Amino acid sequence: MPLTDMPDFAPDLLDEFSRRRTVRVNTPVIQPAEPFLDMAGEDLRRRIFLTESETGESLCLRPEFTIPVCLRHIETATGTPKRYSYLGEVFRQRREGSHEFYQAGIEDLGETDIASADARLIGDAVGILSRLLPGRSLTLTLGDQAVFEAVVKALGLPLGWQKRLIHAFGDRGHLDALLERLARPQPVAGLDPEIAALLASGNEAELVAQIDRTMETTGYSTNASRSPLEIARRLQEKLTLAETRLDGSALLLLREFLTLSLPLSEASAALAGFADAACLKLGPALAQFDARLAALANAGLDLSAMTYRAAFGRPLDYYTGLVFEVTEAGASAVLAGGGRFDRLLTLLGAKDRIPAVGFALWLDRIETARAPK
Amino acid sequence: MTITIALPSKGRIKDGTVEIFERAGLSIASIGNDRSYRGRVEGIDGIEIAYLSASEIARELASGAVDFGVTGEDLVREGMPGVDDKVEFCARLGFGQADVVVAVPEIWLDVETMADLGDVATDFRARHGRRLAIATKYWRLTQQFFSRQHGIQLYRIVESLGATEGAPAAGQADIIVDITSTGSTLKANHLKVLGDGVILKSEACLVRARKPAHDADPRVAQIISAVQTALQRADG
Repeated sequence: MPLTDMPDFAPDLLDEFSRRRTVRVNTPVIQPAEPFLDMAGEDLRRRIFLTESETGESLCLRPEFTIPVCLRHIETATGTPKRYSYLGEVFRQRREGSHEFYQAGIEDLGETDIASADARLIGDAVGILSRLLPGRSLTLTLGDQAVFEAVVKALGLPLGWQKRLIHAFGDRGHLDALLERLARPQPVAGLDPEIAALLASGNEAELVAQIDRTMETTGYSTNASRSPLEIARRLQEKLTLAETRLDGSALLLLREFLTLSLPLSEASAALAGFADAACLKLGPALAQFDARLAALANAGLDLSAMTYRAAFGRPLDYYTGLVFEVTEAGASAVLAGGGRFDRLLTLLGAKDRIPAVGFALWLDRIETARAPK
Repeated sequence: MTITIALPSKGRIKDGTVEIFERAGLSIASIGNDRSYRGRVEGIDGIEIAYLSASEIARELASGAVDFGVTGEDLVREGMPGVDDKVEFCARLGFGQADVVVAVPEIWLDVETMADLGDVATDFRARHGRRLAIATKYWRLTQQFFSRQHGIQLYRIVESLGATEGAPAAGQADIIVDITSTGSTLKANHLKVLGDGVILKSEACLVRARKPAHDADPRVAQIISAVQTALQRADG
């Protein structure tokens, strides 16, 4: 039976959290499951402990803290900026390791100076880990969704294709499959001749009317989620996108970009060099990237000990910029993982856009790493 | 050791299985009366037949409570994670064929492939204020197919235990993942199967729970080879 006591270094953690001017929050262990499945997707379903209330509401054991902390922030409406910290048990179905374990972390909500909030958060994660693992050499890997988005936009692809690629960022298999489609476009086949004729003539009104009539006669109209106009528009877009071909050199550029992996201290120059050589205008995204590096250097962090990996991202639609993870040098276990999720609070129902960045520490892995070898 | 074989307790799958076992020289006799849910194989000692419902058979195979089972591949694959480590599909019996498919409203003229569906799912929340909803009883198969094979994350599963084909028209879900053999119910409900939307071509299978004790038991290999031989004879 694994022990489920709070790790013995918890007081050090709490001390760090208060020194770093965070407000400690706790959230109920039993949470509505809806927001987790809605935000993280159905993939989460097999990894959480689901149950139901007597009235049929779907509940789960808290699988992580970010969503509950953000929901609590929205409910209490105490204004921004806020720096929250948490320390508590989370529950996940795992093939290896215990199903319940401790996580701690910081969520920095509402700080509008993006670069310095990013740098401060990385400094927090690295600083806390260094205190918990004194004398150990840590490796930080950093990625940036915004830089990838800028590269994709600069290639001049139609919006639909940009969305596809951006959505797949962080999922290498999916991204490669998309690049393959861009290299070898397949024409749309099997369209009803009547519909194809309407599309060719550009008569959108008649196309919409026809879809509408079919919906009526098949009894689908009453509860239809996608409207005739939405279907007609996407059909037109699909035909355009199907004809899009990325020429060999642009494709090569995108692939080359995705293989970039180098010390953070060399990343600015490398990205600028890449943009120049490829004649791509990456302006604001690179400026933001450089500002973050400057803020990190100002905070006294050693950029040469950190790695920028261009393909590193998380395929979830609320991540917007920075992602990072920290491991012990030469080990694979992620001790801390974090990123910027500027879209999450609005998706969870916040009225205003609240920029947000945070990280979580895996305390069970840190405990293992602390054990004498 | 008693070897337990779980067979479906009713329907075409039961009849088909009994017939194949008969041809394989594994005649089944009921214990007690004809309506008993226990049986044995005549001529071989220590083989017990348990008649169970098709979905329970998948569960009993997963837990290792039975040694063999005959049931639909769809139920076995849906019923347990890491299925190929836990069970061995010994023989496909040639009946009970049905496909687990992704079907969308016919009127979605712009959606013919999983890639199309991925595009629609990506935008769904922005357009409709909620994720794309899929009605199904196959949440594991759906999630494996959507997330792992097609990189589609942004959708919600609405559990549906029956009349799933009616869910889109009723507004309970946008699309479905369901089992179909002829496609006529899908058609009647104005749904179409996506070109690359066949998740699994299922049929009744003889399935063995992987247990260490099986290696040393000649009856295990005997049962498998008897059924396989009977099927080959029928093919030839």
